[in-house]
Amino acid sequence: MQNKNNSYPPHLLLNDQLLEISGLTLRPGRQAVLSNFSLTVERGTLHAIVGPNGAGKTTLLSAILGLMPFEGRIVARWAGRGRIAYVPQQFEVDRTLPVTVADFLALTRQTFPVCLGVTRAARTRISRLLDRVGLGGIEDRPLSVLSGGELRRVLLAHALDPLPELLILDEPGGGLDAAAARWLDDTLVSLKGEITVLMVSHDSEQVRRIADRVTVLSPTLRTPEPTSSRAPEP
Amino acid sequence: MSVSDLFEYPFLVRGFICVMLLAPLLGGISHLVVARRMAFFSAALGQAAITGVCVGLLLGEPLNAPYGGMFGFCLLSTLAMVYAKRRSKLPPDTLIGVFLALTLGLGLCLLVAVTRQFNVHQVEAILFGSLLTVTDVDLVLLVIAVIGVAFLLFRHYNDLLLDSLSTPLATVRGINSALLEYGFALVLTIAILVSLKVIGALLVEALIIVPAAAARNVARGTRSYLLWSVVVAFVAGAGGLAISTRLLVPTGGAVVLAVSLIFFLTLAIGSMRGTGSG
Repeated sequence: MQNKNNSYPPHLLLNDQLLEISGLTLRPGRQAVLSNFSLTVERGTLHAIVGPNGAGKTTLLSAILGLMPFEGRIVARWAGRGRIAYVPQQFEVDRTLPVTVADFLALTRQTFPVCLGVTRAARTRISRLLDRVGLGGIEDRPLSVLSGGELRRVLLAHALDPLPELLILDEPGGGLDAAAARWLDDTLVSLKGEITVLMVSHDSEQVRRIADRVTVLSPTLRTPEPTSSRAPEP
Repeated sequence: MSVSDLFEYPFLVRGFICVMLLAPLLGGISHLVVARRMAFFSAALGQAAITGVCVGLLLGEPLNAPYGGMFGFCLLSTLAMVYAKRRSKLPPDTLIGVFLALTLGLGLCLLVAVTRQFNVHQVEAILFGSLLTVTDVDLVLLVIAVIGVAFLLFRHYNDLLLDSLSTPLATVRGINSALLEYGFALVLTIAILVSLKVIGALLVEALIIVPAAAARNVARGTRSYLLWSVVVAFVAGAGGLAISTRLLVPTGGAVVLAVSLIFFLTLAIGSMRGTGSG
């Protein structure tokens, strides 16, 4: 199998499967959203999951993340430390909660309690992270005043440090303007080969532009093998 | 009564030390309680404490230290509420409302039995708080609780706040959300129990919730949020103590009046500064 990106590190082989899902059945309520579902995600690729509302895309991500019980098998074959990072579709911040961007990002970057202050080392690291996502200088702004696009970038910054082996994104382009969406695409493309990205998306144009493989879920057809394919060339 | 009088009476000295210890304890916990949306939960625990006191007294515990019944019943209620909240699909406030009604109903029934054995005014001290009932043993327990809770919060604060902001993000980072929820509920139970002698079972939730609510009106980051919560709890505690001794009213009521006054002051300050909940 060939890939558009030839700059993969030697240990990342295209046929090497990072994630293997088989016989998966998900029942968030009484009815199954996914039934006997199978999927493989190849290491170093950007794999998109598409489908209409109610097809079970976010539920599938929840199962992979261990946030809900499931029937079947989800096997991850980690090459390194096996870190998963996640950028959720919704991150509703209580608008009265006085948590700044630096506070939020420091929560997992220092062991010292954030309520007693952000350490100098953490602050330096956070500044670098925010620069990387184009949000330098917003450290002391409350999370609650950020726009949807800014919040998504902060969440992406949070997810990318330390660099995960598997990055899971739920509708990452939702609510972004054209410039921010372009920036997101470039960032995700630059990660290809370095890490594996599994992404749920409604944006067929975005999927066409950046995905290596696409799995289509539909409420009526929930066994994706026949519909799982390489993304068409742009 | 002047400040110098305060140190002439041992019970007032004990009361002042209690306030000095309760301020960082309740102020420190309160902003996490509000962040984790556990205000109603703490109210239910306060009510459960009344039932726990009755259980303890009926089982033969002394009137000035019914800790066994209180701790046992509150612990049981805490575990049951967290378990039901995690298992049920009902909204948390609905579930907690069910527990609150259950424990309060049971408490009222038991209270009738208790008042057959004890003078109702003796029981009032537990319901509304009284400095006269605070003993040296209570103070020692309070010191142990403050140290224990501070240690636990110091170690797990960041995880607790991340879990409050987003449970999926916390879980993905390897944080055991269930363990945190049970652990924090236990810490909250301990904090409420050691505060009961001063604040009273009916009003203790006010000092768990209002300092953080007041702090939110003026804080601009997590650090100032904690600082303001502790300062508000301390000023309300000391102010309530002064009002209580001067006007001879229950300490709990006086503290709650003081903390509520501070809340409205911070609300006005927050509105003027453009911070806070507005």
